[in-house]
Amino acid sequence: MSISNELVNQYPWLPSLRKFYKDTRELSYSEFISEIFSNTNNVQIAKRVLKIFEAAFNNLEEIPDKKNDNLNVHVYLLLKIMLYALNNKIITNRIANLYSKSSYNDMEHENSISNIYDICMDLGLKINSYDPPEPYGLKIVKDHREKLETNFSIHYIDYLSLASNLRDEYRKLTNNPLIDGYVFIQNKTLIRLIQEYVRNKLLIEETEDKASLKAFMKNVSQIQGFKDLYDNIKTLWENRKEEFDFTFKLDIKNKEEMLLSYPPCVIEILKKAEEGQNLVHHERLFIVWFLLALEYPVENVVNIFSTLPDFDKDKTTYQVEYAKRKNYTPYQCLTLKSLGLCMADKYKEEGELCREGYGSKDPVERKKIKHPLFYVQLKQYRSEREKEYKRNLAKRELEDSKKPNE
Amino acid sequence: MNDFNYLKRLFQAYYQEEQNNFPQVSSFNLREFGYIPWEKKVFMKRHLKFENPKELIADLIQNPPRHLYSSGSIYLEPDAREMESKNYQGCDLIIDIDVDHFYTPCKEKHDLWYCKECGTEGTGMPEKCPACKKSKFTKLNWVCDDCLDIAKNEIKKLVYNFLIPDFGINEKDMRIAFSGHRGYHLKVESEEIRKLNSDERREIVDYLTGDNISFDLLGLIERSTEIHGLLKGNFGWSQKIMNRVEEILQKPEKELEDILTDNNSFDLNHNVTESFLNYKDDFLELIRKGERNVWAIEGFGLTMWKKFLKEIVKQVGVELDEPVSIDIHRLIRYPSSLHGKTGFKVQELSLDDLKDFNPLDESNKKLDPIVFTSKKNLTQKLEITENLIPMTKIKGVEYGPYSKGEIINIPHHIAVFLLCKEVAKTI
Repeated sequence: MSISNELVNQYPWLPSLRKFYKDTRELSYSEFISEIFSNTNNVQIAKRVLKIFEAAFNNLEEIPDKKNDNLNVHVYLLLKIMLYALNNKIITNRIANLYSKSSYNDMEHENSISNIYDICMDLGLKINSYDPPEPYGLKIVKDHREKLETNFSIHYIDYLSLASNLRDEYRKLTNNPLIDGYVFIQNKTLIRLIQEYVRNKLLIEETEDKASLKAFMKNVSQIQGFKDLYDNIKTLWENRKEEFDFTFKLDIKNKEEMLLSYPPCVIEILKKAEEGQNLVHHERLFIVWFLLALEYPVENVVNIFSTLPDFDKDKTTYQVEYAKRKNYTPYQCLTLKSLGLCMADKYKEEGELCREGYGSKDPVERKKIKHPLFYVQLKQYRSEREKEYKRNLAKRELEDSKKPNE
Repeated sequence: MNDFNYLKRLFQAYYQEEQNNFPQVSSFNLREFGYIPWEKKVFMKRHLKFENPKELIADLIQNPPRHLYSSGSIYLEPDAREMESKNYQGCDLIIDIDVDHFYTPCKEKHDLWYCKECGTEGTGMPEKCPACKKSKFTKLNWVCDDCLDIAKNEIKKLVYNFLIPDFGINEKDMRIAFSGHRGYHLKVESEEIRKLNSDERREIVDYLTGDNISFDLLGLIERSTEIHGLLKGNFGWSQKIMNRVEEILQKPEKELEDILTDNNSFDLNHNVTESFLNYKDDFLELIRKGERNVWAIEGFGLTMWKKFLKEIVKQVGVELDEPVSIDIHRLIRYPSSLHGKTGFKVQELSLDDLKDFNPLDESNKKLDPIVFTSKKNLTQKLEITENLIPMTKIKGVEYGPYSKGEIINIPHHIAVFLLCKEVAKTI
């Protein structure tokens, strides 16, 4: 299948980029950067990249004045290199969120379904397209009748692989029509799944290999254009980072140790929020209900969401306050498991209590933790016991030392 | 010679006899093998690798295990001790249907339990002891045609209602086997399925069981005191649910009433059941026409409808052992190996074989999992060591019930079964 050059320019994350820009592919990072900054359009490219960072740091939902010309490919590649150079997970997440959202908006405005079909094919997705749309049901509410139809169905393996991080209820396979291996999927939902692909494509893990990064930086810092752009972004970040570099300052008396008592499911969500990763609906509900149950003030709970790309303070405050009034109970372990939010296996140390249970040395006799709030309670109880033991031990030692030598 | 040594020798003889017919699982040398030996206090030995079936069978003859397993996963280094070092390449989708994990009415007759806390005894599968409310039991689970039929129906439901029509899985990619005890295994072997991670497998499991289904998303909503229900014409779970509702509504009134009030099923109270029965014909017409979806039964609010639909989902979904399908490092019983708790063979079956397969009285010799039938009708003398043993019907003949101390003279295959179950000893 051949895909148009225009489509690759517009969506440079497509695998066909390799085909169209063979020469670029063979260049090393630093060679590519030299080439870009010796190009007559280098100022334009650098400006566009800077604009993306500005938009991300300003919590914008769109990249302003985005153009889909052939420079877009250079912008995309330079953006990826810059993320590697910056080596900051929070920045990477924000850029990935923004860039993927922008791609979503572009795809949503595609006039023809054949472009979306071409994109899917280029991504290697097994997909069927229907024109006219294929009906798969009916929605009747009172006098309103809506035909359920779509232009696409996607193979369930591809569907699962794209949707596995998006655990919203409506994306669950169970809640979708599946026939002969294909999920009938609304155009918008399909595009949202591709957005997730784009987001993942930009998510470069923070490198542990500091030496290589240092060598790379030493090399590319000699290219003035790159250095200027890098410094500009760094300065921008330094000015804004306090707003994003969120640490969980839960300055409530006697609750400092609570953080140490959190179960793995909670730690995982807090970690994701800290890194500015998107939280799915159930993660958001659970963390709010959990922290409110531990009597954290609304303001502190709201703060947790401040790093997320779609943060809206007023809206979040209203929702957290509503949850507080309703006094919801956080999900129990069984529900967390079924929602795929149980992280007992991921966290070796914190997950031990969840995996092994408590109450007896005999594995058969041990009881299982059934609720994350109980996990906190048990951890705190154990910690109190340990402190008490240490206090008594110290007291005994002191008394022993006061005894006269015999 | 103690009884385990005796059984071990019998198993050895079986493997010796079968050495030229022993089946080979796909990607044989990339599978991890594991076994549970006869020696008590020795747990499962895992992380074993065999280059070919010949090597495996030689090992089985040398040291016949009580249970033999191989992995659903394939690894470049299946014998590495740490999972991380095995170089995981992918995992088949394994579905385990075992009546141990779900209720069957026959368990009230043959599954015995004893509460370790208060000493109460009973039959069935209670979650908690009815006397002390604790859940520490000693159990004696038995087999009968009824529960094995239920398990077989579940595997058929899995294949014909889900895997083929919904997932489009080819028959040639499915491997079905009778487990040798109380259930069946189904393995889907295909390159694309091997790529699925645990989260993705959980999604498949939820689809097969109907767990975490959202009735709201399928169309059940309340708008100004009217309840709008699901439509039969909507593809996916909506259709499955409404087909089942339609099926139930067509039952004779008395039978329907019994189902609705049964506390192991819908568990509806008398008044609600009565209004349901009154509305039955209108409801059936509404479903068939599919033009309107206002569900108006007196006493049925949104919560009651959800309770009703939840039971429908339970009946439509497959009763499977969820962790087995989600865990990518599970081992499953090796085809044609012997089950150490029954002495029965893990019998591979084609979909065609499955139709008439009857594990406890199979007429087709090639498919018969009861391998220790004596050709000379030899009998064996055993003493019962368990308080009570339920009746066992094998090959059309009933044996028992027996009680402790009883001396019995039974055919060889029944003796092997009781010895494997550890409820009797040779004398």
